[in-house]
Amino acid sequence: MINETELIDRLKQGDETAFKTIVEQWKDMVYNTILGIVQNDTEAEDLAQDVFIKVFEKVGTFKGDSKFSTWLYRIATTTALDHLRSKKRKKRFGFLQSLTGSGGDEKEQIPDFHHPGVNLDNKERAAVLFKAIDALPESQKAAYTLHKLEGLSYRDVSEVLNTTVSAVESLMSRANQNLRKQLEEYYNKHYR
Amino acid sequence: MTPQEKIQQEIERTLQSLDSIKRAEANPFLFTRIKARMNRKANGWEEGIFSFVSKPVIAIGILLLVMAVNGWALWDGSGSGENGITDPTSSFSELANEYNIVASVNNYDYENMTNE
Repeated sequence: MINETELIDRLKQGDETAFKTIVEQWKDMVYNTILGIVQNDTEAEDLAQDVFIKVFEKVGTFKGDSKFSTWLYRIATTTALDHLRSKKRKKRFGFLQSLTGSGGDEKEQIPDFHHPGVNLDNKERAAVLFKAIDALPESQKAAYTLHKLEGLSYRDVSEVLNTTVSAVESLMSRANQNLRKQLEEYYNKHYR
Repeated sequence: MTPQEKIQQEIERTLQSLDSIKRAEANPFLFTRIKARMNRKANGWEEGIFSFVSKPVIAIGILLLVMAVNGWALWDGSGSGENGITDPTSSFSELANEYNIVASVNNYDYENMTNE
C-alpha cells in the first residue's frame, strides 16, 4: 500500500490512479462533513465532487504543513459554507422578487432532514436537532458538525478552522447554548 | 414529572441523539462522476460560450440589443435629410466635389452645349 506522502506527490504530478485512491479513501469523510453542513444529499454529492476537483487542481499548493486530512476538511467546510452563503443570497433575491411580483417562486425548504447514519430510535429527535443546527451561525455550525458528526477533537477542529483550541471551546459552548434555547422553544410549542 | 421537567429531559435526549451517529456513505460512483465533470470542463471554452449564449436571458438580451442597434440605424438614417427626406443628389455632389470631377460632368451638358 502506498503511503500518504507518496500518494500526494503522485497526485501533484497529475497521476489519475493516485487521484482515484484519494477519492476512494476520503470520499465518505468529505461527503459526511458537507452533508452535515448543507443538510441536503443531492447538494452534498455535487459539493463533494467540487471538493475533489479543487483538490486535484490545488494539490500543488499543499505544502504538508498540516495533515492532508486537515487540508481536505478545510476545503470541504469552506465549500459547504460558501454554498450556504450563496443559497442565502439567492433566497433573499427570491424574496425581493416576490415583493416586486417578478418571480421568486422558491418555496421554503422542508426542514426535516434525516441523516442516514442516525439509528431509527433517534430519527425524529435527530431531525429536530439538525433543524436547530441549521439555524446556528456558520462558525458554530462548522465546529459542531466537525466535532459531533466527524468525531474530531477540539484540537483537530481548531486546525481545520485555523483557530485556537480555546476558540473552538467557546464556539462549542455557544453552539450548545443556542441549541438548547432553540430546542426549548420548539418543545414548548410542540410538546404540550 | 412536571411538563417543564419533561421538556428538559426531551432536550437532553435530542442533544444526545447524534452521539451514536454513523458516517454517511458517499455515492460509490463518485470518482466516475468527478472524472466526467472534469472531462466536460476540459472540453474547452467553446462549450462554455455556447452554454452561456444559449441561456434564455442572454439570448433574449442579445436579440434586443441587435434590434435596438437596427432601430437606431433606421432612425438615424431617416432623420439625416431635410424634413426627413434625403436628397439623392447631395451625396453625388459631395462625391463629385471630393474627386474634383465637377468640370468633367459639365462637359456632358449636351443640351446647353455651344460650339466653341
